[in-house]
Amino acid sequence: MTPDVKQIQKIIDQHHGDKSALITVLQDLQRKFNYIPPEGVTATAKALDVPLSKVYSVATFYSTFSLVPRGEKIIRICQGTACHIKGADLIQEQIEAGLNIKAGETSSDMKYTLEVVNCVGVCAMAPAVLVNDKMHGNVRCEKALKLVK
Amino acid sequence: MRIDSIPKLEKWRKKCQREYNSRKRKIFVCLGEACLANGSAEVYDEFKKELKKRKLSDVQVESAIKTGCHGFCALGPLVIIEPEGTFYTKVKVKNVAEIVEKTIKNHEVIDRLLYKDKKTKERIAEYGKIPFYEKQQRISLRNVGTIDPYKISDYIAVGGYTALSKALTDMSPKQVIDEVSKSKLRGRGGGGFSTGRKWATCAKVDDEPRYVICNGDEGDPGAFMDRTTMGSDPHSVLEGMILCAFGIGSTQGYIYVREEYPLAVVTLQNAIDEARDSGILGDNILGTDFCFDIKINRGGGAFVCGESSALMKSIAGEVGEPRAKYVRSVVKGLNDKPTVLNNVETFATIPVIIDKGAKWFAKIGTKTSTGTKVFSLAGKINNTGLVEVPMGISLREIVYDIGGGIPKGRKFKAVQTGGPSGGCLPAEKLDLKVDFDSLTEAGSMMGSGGMIIMDDRTCMVEIARYFLSFLVQESCGKCVPCREGLYQLHKICAKICEGQGTMEDIELMEKMSLTIQKASLCGLGQSGPNPLLSTLMYFKDEFITHVKDKKCPAGVCRDLIKFVITDDCTGCMACIKVCPVDAITGEKKKIHILDQELCTQCGSCFDICKFDSIEIK
Amino acid sequence: MVLIQINGKMVKAHEGEMVLSVLRREGIEVPALCDHQALEPGGSCRLCMVEITKADWDGWTKNVTSCLYPVEEGLIVSTHSEGVLEIRRNILDMLLARCPNSDVIQKLAEEHGVMKTSFDTLPDSDNCIMCYACTRVCEVLGKSAISAVMRGHKKVIASPFGDAPPDCIGCLSCAHICPTNVILWKDENGKRTIWNKSFDLITCKKCGKETISREFADYLLEQRDIPADYFETCDDCKRMELAFKMGGLVDGAEEVAI
Repeated sequence: MTPDVKQIQKIIDQHHGDKSALITVLQDLQRKFNYIPPEGVTATAKALDVPLSKVYSVATFYSTFSLVPRGEKIIRICQGTACHIKGADLIQEQIEAGLNIKAGETSSDMKYTLEVVNCVGVCAMAPAVLVNDKMHGNVRCEKALKLVK
Repeated sequence: MRIDSIPKLEKWRKKCQREYNSRKRKIFVCLGEACLANGSAEVYDEFKKELKKRKLSDVQVESAIKTGCHGFCALGPLVIIEPEGTFYTKVKVKNVAEIVEKTIKNHEVIDRLLYKDKKTKERIAEYGKIPFYEKQQRISLRNVGTIDPYKISDYIAVGGYTALSKALTDMSPKQVIDEVSKSKLRGRGGGGFSTGRKWATCAKVDDEPRYVICNGDEGDPGAFMDRTTMGSDPHSVLEGMILCAFGIGSTQGYIYVREEYPLAVVTLQNAIDEARDSGILGDNILGTDFCFDIKINRGGGAFVCGESSALMKSIAGEVGEPRAKYVRSVVKGLNDKPTVLNNVETFATIPVIIDKGAKWFAKIGTKTSTGTKVFSLAGKINNTGLVEVPMGISLREIVYDIGGGIPKGRKFKAVQTGGPSGGCLPAEKLDLKVDFDSLTEAGSMMGSGGMIIMDDRTCMVEIARYFLSFLVQESCGKCVPCREGLYQLHKICAKICEGQGTMEDIELMEKMSLTIQKASLCGLGQSGPNPLLSTLMYFKDEFITHVKDKKCPAGVCRDLIKFVITDDCTGCMACIKVCPVDAITGEKKKIHILDQELCTQCGSCFDICKFDSIEIK
Repeated sequence: MVLIQINGKMVKAHEGEMVLSVLRREGIEVPALCDHQALEPGGSCRLCMVEITKADWDGWTKNVTSCLYPVEEGLIVSTHSEGVLEIRRNILDMLLARCPNSDVIQKLAEEHGVMKTSFDTLPDSDNCIMCYACTRVCEVLGKSAISAVMRGHKKVIASPFGDAPPDCIGCLSCAHICPTNVILWKDENGKRTIWNKSFDLITCKKCGKETISREFADYLLEQRDIPADYFETCDDCKRMELAFKMGGLVDGAEEVAI
């Protein structure tokens, strides 16, 4: 499915060509389409009068941006220090094995995307896993897969 | 309603206070992130339903109040009933009807929902009497958990914007800066630079416009005080920024919030809108000539953007690569204009300093580190959460008195402070008085105040590897020592974890660490080797054991360990249930068998076994 | 004018000038891979580090990159202290691990006594040291066709989406400025290829030699006040033409030109 060019333009136009809004524009595009469509990168460059290479540079520098479509469920495993010492690696292994994808990948049926995030700030509830922004704390390794499926 | 004079603000405050106090009995439901993860939103909804159903006249529907984080996250969802201060922990939806019936209607305390002290085994009814809270002194977190973050009227009722009205009525901009200088407040974001001096320098630069930036890019893993403040008491951050703007003569401010904190963005935006509508932000604040507005910028997931020059580039919509700071950002910051950048906790402290005076503040804490500091306790500790304590308190008091010690009776091994720029301090350092200078001297750092407690099941070599891996992912990649050096250190450290390291490798790591510290462009690289160097300083034996004996004493590095079930096995089947790869078999009350071929050395069995009948070999 | 001291010698410097530019003028050799006179200093290679102090610093010293540090009255610089040399050796050690096959890095490392890297070398090294000279020169030219992509150790210089960069005009500035000669290009059969993009080359209407890309010429014509047919002949033919013109004035000039 190609994203609607009009929709892309509408989102970009909300920022009235303000160069400093570049990151916000990309965030808005990602929120709408679940990723940043290449057409969006090109259109952003044009609308904000920023070189295409710079927009691409920003889109690849920040870790929350994705330039490829992501799955229906976005699972984010927290790998902050507290989560790490409380077994986040094991949880990651379980989920990777169960969904048959590695961190950073999307399942071929487009159902799941697995991401790793460096601390979401719920260290008191470590280890934590986010499923589409719903936070799960004190996740038990053997129950991790059930949580995300 | 737009307030266009200071007397009108004070008049409004009286009204806010009446409204705030009219809620005779208040049921505070913590909606901090940790409690939310445990279902506190459902508990809140249930309270509203239950109160409505019973039509309790003196307990209005509104008296179930959404509050931000109370800090004692280990026991969420938390519910506090005022005015008694009854403190219920781990409240579930099914407990709500009972609480309303017994505690609200009949003033009875439900014993089993109270906090139980781990040491004395006593149940404690009152909020303030719980050891976790007893040793705390809350300045930055003063309103966190006691007001509704979505209501400016609550903030005003508890004395909010008093400092602003005081500054606008009785003080000159210079007096505001002088007061901050006299308080000897040091920036809470990590470096510990004098806030007053920063403001004074910026105010003197002959260039305009001047900017105020609040750094809400709390990137240190293990630190979550800024997220809590932004989400639970956003107006105190705004007030601090407004006071700074008044002091240095700025008209535009920015709050940079990391992408991982969506809730903080919502509360802050709501607070900004409310403040604008009330005439506290925007043109002619409270009817004076002073104009100042604030805009929120969201980060994109880059730890390096916590570094001031990278953050400013990110606000300008660019890649967050730091620049060399031979010209400081107070002189040339955002858009090359004079800029004051402080973090959330620093700004949240400012109103109290202006309100109560520098003298009052400077009396708290130590001589060189005044005031209080918020620490976030996490990791292998009983009471996880946020604590605010006077500077100079010992690590032992934090870990044992407030934190309640190490779970499962295991041994304290280290406390990691300062995140990826800090270090790991061993048990010998437990009596260290915590302040900016003592932590740096001990080879760690205050950082933003994250404290991760580690027990004897944490491998220090692996922790060093973890931090290096974190930094390799988060380095911006601009300069050679940080990009190549940290990458190589990580590879060597990983090799040691696999039992492939040599003694020369350890020497090489030490040598290269010093160059990375000296030659890197920004703070990320300059402090990047700290976690490695501090573990090498205090836990070198553990590195040597990995290299020479090919053993991991903590039982973490999988290539070096084997778990074995001993004859003490009682056959309780607990390990069978937790093993993620079904490597353990056996029947009830018979010694279980662990298939070494299938075992992935994850250690789940070891951690669950209550009878110490699994050994690390 | 400010007075600074370099390796014990008093030297005059211009206000606002960077230390490295003074070192260059004084003929003091300090390695600097990301520095180029046409570009703003970047401070990414860190090799030009020097040790600075001042008389009233109580013996305290600081390491700074000379390319980014502005001169100030009374500054005392040492360019070859043991501490600075150690930093340079270690950085070259790291660079050698990244670019084991680069002649430039090998030679520079050897000059500093680093014969072999202490680390495991990168398996598929392309010899790029990520100095940003190419992206910076492209920006100076007003094009910014290429940029740094990704971050940290994964960072590479690339075109948007790895495709032929729409803003590239085939001027070759990036390839020429690259200190380790990483950026590949080819002129063949009237075509130039760089960054997966192909350009028509202008052939000199006099001698038939291939000169610059049509897009580069168009860009320059658009930017500057240049006669429309300026790029239709090559530099050699232009010189010859000039010599013929001058030949009328000076005997023998024609032969010299030929």
